[in-house]
Amino acid sequence: MSITSATPGASRARLVYALFLALPVLLFAVFYLLPVAETILTSFQKWNGLSAHRTWVGLRNYTALFGQERFLHSLINNIKWLIFYLLAPPSLGLALALLLNREIRGETIFKVIFFLPYAIPPVAVASMWRWLYEPSHGLITVVMQSLGLGALAQNWLGNPAIVTYAIMGAALWWTAGFSFIVFSAGLRNLPSECIEAARLDGGNAWQIFWRVTFPLLWPSTIIVLGLSAVDAMRIFDIVWAMTNGGPAYASDVLATQMYDVAFGRLNMGQASAIAVTLLVMAAVFILPYITYMARHVERTEA
Amino acid sequence: MSASSLPADRDAPIRFAAAVLLSAVFLAPLGMALLTSLKSPAEIVQILSLPHRPDWGNYAVAWNQIGRSFINSIAITLPGALLSVLVGAIGAFPLSQLRGRTGMIIYFFLLTGMLVPYQIVQVPLFDLMRHLGLYNTIPGMWLVHTAYGVPICTFFLRNFFASVPKSIFEAAMLDGCGPAGYFFRILLPASKSGLAALAIIQSRSIWNDLLFAMTLTSTDRARPVTVQLNALTSGLEVQYGPLMASTLISIVPVVVAYLVFQKAFVRGMLGGSSK
Repeated sequence: MSITSATPGASRARLVYALFLALPVLLFAVFYLLPVAETILTSFQKWNGLSAHRTWVGLRNYTALFGQERFLHSLINNIKWLIFYLLAPPSLGLALALLLNREIRGETIFKVIFFLPYAIPPVAVASMWRWLYEPSHGLITVVMQSLGLGALAQNWLGNPAIVTYAIMGAALWWTAGFSFIVFSAGLRNLPSECIEAARLDGGNAWQIFWRVTFPLLWPSTIIVLGLSAVDAMRIFDIVWAMTNGGPAYASDVLATQMYDVAFGRLNMGQASAIAVTLLVMAAVFILPYITYMARHVERTEA
Repeated sequence: MSASSLPADRDAPIRFAAAVLLSAVFLAPLGMALLTSLKSPAEIVQILSLPHRPDWGNYAVAWNQIGRSFINSIAITLPGALLSVLVGAIGAFPLSQLRGRTGMIIYFFLLTGMLVPYQIVQVPLFDLMRHLGLYNTIPGMWLVHTAYGVPICTFFLRNFFASVPKSIFEAAMLDGCGPAGYFFRILLPASKSGLAALAIIQSRSIWNDLLFAMTLTSTDRARPVTVQLNALTSGLEVQYGPLMASTLISIVPVVVAYLVFQKAFVRGMLGGSSK
C-alpha cells in the first residue's frame, strides 16, 4: 500500500477505478436517487401521472392520508408483517436447522426440500395457496373436515378478520427456507468444543441451546433479522397476488395501497405520499442495521 | 459407543420422523398443484383423490395462456442476470481496492439502495421509462434489472473480491499489469465461482419479479410469466386445472436451476446476506 501510493501509478489506478465506478454510480443515481427525490417532490403535488400539469398542494396529500381509515389500516398491517417476519420464519428456520444439525439420515434431501419453496416466484406461491385456501374444495378445508375439525374451517381469504394471517401462512412456507440455510451454515461453523464442554458440565439440551448455542449463533441471527426486516418492508408481491389487498382493503399493506392509488386511480401525489411514509418507516428500522453492518465490515477488514 | 453419543442415538428416530413429516408439509402445496394439474374438471373438486387418468390437456391450455410470456421471461432473465453481474463486477472491483473514506462512502450509499423498498420508485420509474422509449420492451427490463441489481451485485462481489489475497494484486502490478489488466485477466477468471453464484441468485430474483414487470410491461411484447400468471390467478372464473399447470410451468426454470446448481444457489444466498 505504502509503496504503490507513492508512485505515479497510483494516480493512474485511481483514474481506472473512477472509470470502473462510473456506470454503476450513474445507474444508481438515475434509478435510485433521482426517483426517490422525485417521489418526495410528487408527494407534495396533485398529478395524474400522464399530463404535463402538476399542482402544488403542500402537505394536503399527507393530511388526507393520516385521516383515512384505509391508510391507517395498511400501516397497521405493515407493522403486523414486520412482527411476523421477525418472529415466524426465523423461528421455523432455526428449528429446522437444529433438527438437521445432528447426524440424521437423508440430511441432503431434507435440506433440498426445506429450501425449495424459497426458489419459487411469490406469484406461483400465491396461486398454489389460493387453491389450498379455497373454502369449499381446498386442501386445507378438506383435511380439516376429515380430521373432524370442519367447524373451524374458514373462508380463509374472504374473511377480513383473518385474511392477513392466512397470507402469512403462505409466506411462512415460502420464506422459512432462507432463515433455515443461514442458520444451518451458522450452526456448522460453531466451535463444537464449546457445546461438548457444556454437555460434559451436565447441561441439558434446553440449557445448552439457550446458554451456549443461541448466543454463539448471534452473527447468523443478526443477518436473518436484518434481512427479514427488509423483506417485511418490501412486502407486496404475495399480498397483491393472493388478494390484491382485499377483501375490502382488509389485507392491504402500504405497498399494495400505493400501487392501487398510483396505477389504479392515477392519483400519483397521494401514492407518492404513501411511498414516502414507507421510505421513512424503512429508514427508521433499517438504517441502524446498515450502519451496524458497514461498521462490522470495516472492523473485520481493518 | 461412548456415553456422550448415546442420547443422540436415542432420539435419532424421533428427529427423523419429524423431518419426514415436515418434508411432507413442505411438499404438500407442490404435490397438490401437480395432482390438480393432471385432473379433468370433474375430478378437481375431489382434492384428496389421485387423478383417474392423467389429463395432460391442462398443460396444453396452460401453454396457450402463458407460453409467450414464459419465453419473454427467458428473454428478460438471461441477459438481465448477465448484465447485472457484469455491472456489479465493475463496480465491486474499485470498491474492493479503495479501502479509504471514499470507498466506504460509495459502498454505504450502494448498501442503502439494497434495502430501499422498490415500491417507492415505481411512479417516477414508469415516467422515466416511457420518456426513454423503453416502456413495455424487453431491453427496458434488462436495463431496470441491471440498475436495481447494482447494490446487491456490488455488495456481493465486493466481498468476494476483497477475499482475494492482496499479494496477487501486488504481484500483478509488479509485472506491469495495471489495474484494468488485473481485473480482466486475473480477477474475473479467478472469481468464476462467485460470479456463477451471483448469476444464479440474480436469475432467480429477475425471474420471480412481479412489481417491476407490472409497472413497466403491458402487452405480450414484453410481459413476463409472473404478470401473466397473476392475471390468471385473480381472474373471475378460475380454472384450477390449467392454473396449476401454468403455475408449475412458471416455476420449472427456477426449480431446475436450484436443483442443478444447488451448491452455487445456496452459496449465492449466503454470500448476498453475510460478511
